[in-house]
Amino acid sequence: MKDKLFREILPRVSKPIRYTGNELNIIKKDWDKSRVKMVFAFPDVYEVGMSHIGGRILYGLINETTDHVLERCFAPWPDMEKIMREEGIPLYSLESYRPLTDFEVVGFSLQYELSATNILNMLDLAGIPVFSHQRTDEHPLILGGGPVAFNPEPFSDFFDLFMIGDGEEALPELLDEVERVRNLPRKEKLLRLAQMEGIYVPSLYKVTYNSDGCLSSMEPVHPDVPGRVRKRIVADLDTAYYPDKPILPYMTVVHDRAVLEVMRGCQRGCRFCHAGMVYRPVRERSLETLRRQARAQLGNTGYEEISLASLSTLDYTGVHPLVKGLVEEHGAQGVGVALPSLRVDAFSIDLANEVQKVRKTTLTLAPEAGTQRLRDVINKNVSEQQLFEAVEAAFKSGWLSIKLYFMIGLPTETEEDLDGILNLLQEVKRIGDQYSPRPVEVRASIACFVPKAHTPFQWQPQDSIEVLQQKINYMTRRRRKGIKLSFHDSRVSYLEGLIARGDRRLGQVIYKAWQNGAVFDGWSEYFHFEYWQKALAEAGIDPDFYVTRPRSYEELLPWDFIDSGISKAFLRHENEKALRGETTLDCRLEDCTGCGVCPSFEVEVDLRGEIAGAH
Amino acid sequence: MRIRAEYSIGPELRFLSNLDTMHMMERALRRAKIPFALTEGFNPHIRLSMGTVLPVGLWGKKEYFDLELAQAMPLDELRDKLNQVLPAGARIEQVRPIDDNAPSLMKAVNCAAYGFLIRMPEEDISNICQNILKSDSLPVRSRGKKKGVDKDLRRGIYKLDLQPSDECFCLMIWVGTGEPLNIRYDELLDLLQQQGVPSEAILDVFREGNYIRVNERLYSPLEG
Repeated sequence: MKDKLFREILPRVSKPIRYTGNELNIIKKDWDKSRVKMVFAFPDVYEVGMSHIGGRILYGLINETTDHVLERCFAPWPDMEKIMREEGIPLYSLESYRPLTDFEVVGFSLQYELSATNILNMLDLAGIPVFSHQRTDEHPLILGGGPVAFNPEPFSDFFDLFMIGDGEEALPELLDEVERVRNLPRKEKLLRLAQMEGIYVPSLYKVTYNSDGCLSSMEPVHPDVPGRVRKRIVADLDTAYYPDKPILPYMTVVHDRAVLEVMRGCQRGCRFCHAGMVYRPVRERSLETLRRQARAQLGNTGYEEISLASLSTLDYTGVHPLVKGLVEEHGAQGVGVALPSLRVDAFSIDLANEVQKVRKTTLTLAPEAGTQRLRDVINKNVSEQQLFEAVEAAFKSGWLSIKLYFMIGLPTETEEDLDGILNLLQEVKRIGDQYSPRPVEVRASIACFVPKAHTPFQWQPQDSIEVLQQKINYMTRRRRKGIKLSFHDSRVSYLEGLIARGDRRLGQVIYKAWQNGAVFDGWSEYFHFEYWQKALAEAGIDPDFYVTRPRSYEELLPWDFIDSGISKAFLRHENEKALRGETTLDCRLEDCTGCGVCPSFEVEVDLRGEIAGAH
Repeated sequence: MRIRAEYSIGPELRFLSNLDTMHMMERALRRAKIPFALTEGFNPHIRLSMGTVLPVGLWGKKEYFDLELAQAMPLDELRDKLNQVLPAGARIEQVRPIDDNAPSLMKAVNCAAYGFLIRMPEEDISNICQNILKSDSLPVRSRGKKKGVDKDLRRGIYKLDLQPSDECFCLMIWVGTGEPLNIRYDELLDLLQQQGVPSEAILDVFREGNYIRVNERLYSPLEG
């Protein structure tokens, strides 16, 4: 297999290094001595999948700390897929070059709604039936996890089971249980697994609909299956497993650097943010742990850059001493520290300068909306003054390029808010040009708002493609010189919205879209809206029912049975406050906001930085 | 202190691009804690310069890079430390100090030797070799920048050598690289096919080495 690949297949494809494996720090375990064999399947290309932290964590976790085995597999690029199909090469893992059918569990990481067709394509390339009901005892269990699994229903036709929430504790437990139930028939096996906390087996629930198309009921079909599935939480992130020896890819991957996960969760409470709701509460790692992890990772990889990842890194209570310490310890070897998208308010001159001492990165800020009114609606607690101060500080210290993230199509948005974005950009440029010897580069990346499940905006309608296009045209006509605007494709956002709040009836649409030829829908060069339009027509499904229809509070939502810890009453209250333009503060700064996660999961906000004081 | 290293890239790493190889070396230098020199400025990087590009798909026996050290160290130690951390398939063979003013590899190297592992009757392949050497001109469609234009490979082919190797033959071809005439390995493949070597008879291609050719004599970059 390997010989044929290297001789006959790989010389004919683009970027063959995607498919060779054998990277530094790869873990190849003894197949026969390992207990359960699982493959971690990422439904996108290698360079995207290898950038994903969750995958790095699970890979090290299972291979280093258990007797199970976890190998890797990514979606082959279409040129490779074509040759694999022609030559009859099944989808294989990069560690042992075994076909996916040799594994007991195939776990897909669900990071993005539109990776759906790639999942079907990968199953098909592996020779595994795409529908779960077609699989027999001979086939692997198909598992899904990751943020998109918080609304698993659109994917339920294709998966045997889902794991909801943090995987550090849940995955080893699941693999242990898979081994225990190994010899049971498939149905009984799934019934046993469905009783584990955090596990959802879609075939064990019966769904009925009202005449208006809305969900009427969703009930387990067996008394031992829970009515609600509770997400899993790692209570203590500081002692949780994190890899010191991540795989070092040969090719340049999207995030090609060492990564520290400084904390998990964010409770700033931006009302559009899915991750901010479902990964509560905030749990930090201690400075001591992070410094040790940085040393180990840099020593084991030789990376020239280390990134501080989280949903809002500037909110990490130890961010200043951490950055200072990392620069002091590793700066002399030319190792830079990267901060992903910065919170506008928490940004300080001090920190900017610490980072800049070694390596200048493009400054990225996310005001998200153009007017104070709309920023209050979405609870992005950033004032114009804070933004301008941050920008001024940055340009003063020598940045020449700034990128700002915005969204259009937010609830209550008017033309004034669109003008607000343009005015804000112009002011940023004016400030920059004042301090810089040459004109500064100001770029804005403008996304279309997609309401997500488990957020306060889960009841809100999404703008139609036509409305979004009008808004894009409006802004394009009014854009100013020296400012670059780039817009997300409103048709892509529409499909994201369809799946983000969809139900299990969408399985047919995903299947038909794939049959029509859809793969790599997240890649503009392969995105064909017409494949999806045709699929929707064939399945007889009106997408506006899912995308542009406002939901009532009384409606049973397809994801209500997933317990994220956040109460529906809190989400509703937040939605109502949004419409009144009232903000809600971070519970670390003010009183408890009553989201519900701490009491319902018996966990606490866990702050570990030096300035965290009493915590 | 400026040094020049000769390294090999084995068949298992043949799909690395030049950039991939450079990153592999940089990261190995960091893991091995070699006292490399950094460039000045906001975006410091290791003062490492890679030699001529090894094409994706080929493995190489004698490839080169230059590196500047901030502190001198025994060069055998440097080689051993790097070899301890390099992935299987990549190996530093020799390291030599070079003059601070020595021309860069990209400027100095002007010849490469490519090896083709061929399974053919001896008579056929040896006739083909003689035919190549006898020809006054060997036009092949250019694969380089001037695509679609014919290029005469003859005056860029310096030497041929045919040796038996495990039921096959290893054909080595020394060709000009860089200025004035750059000959690519895929143009040589086209030439061999033109001369009657079926593509399935070519089992492997590698680069045997890079050379500095002066007055028809070949020198190793480690000598210059």
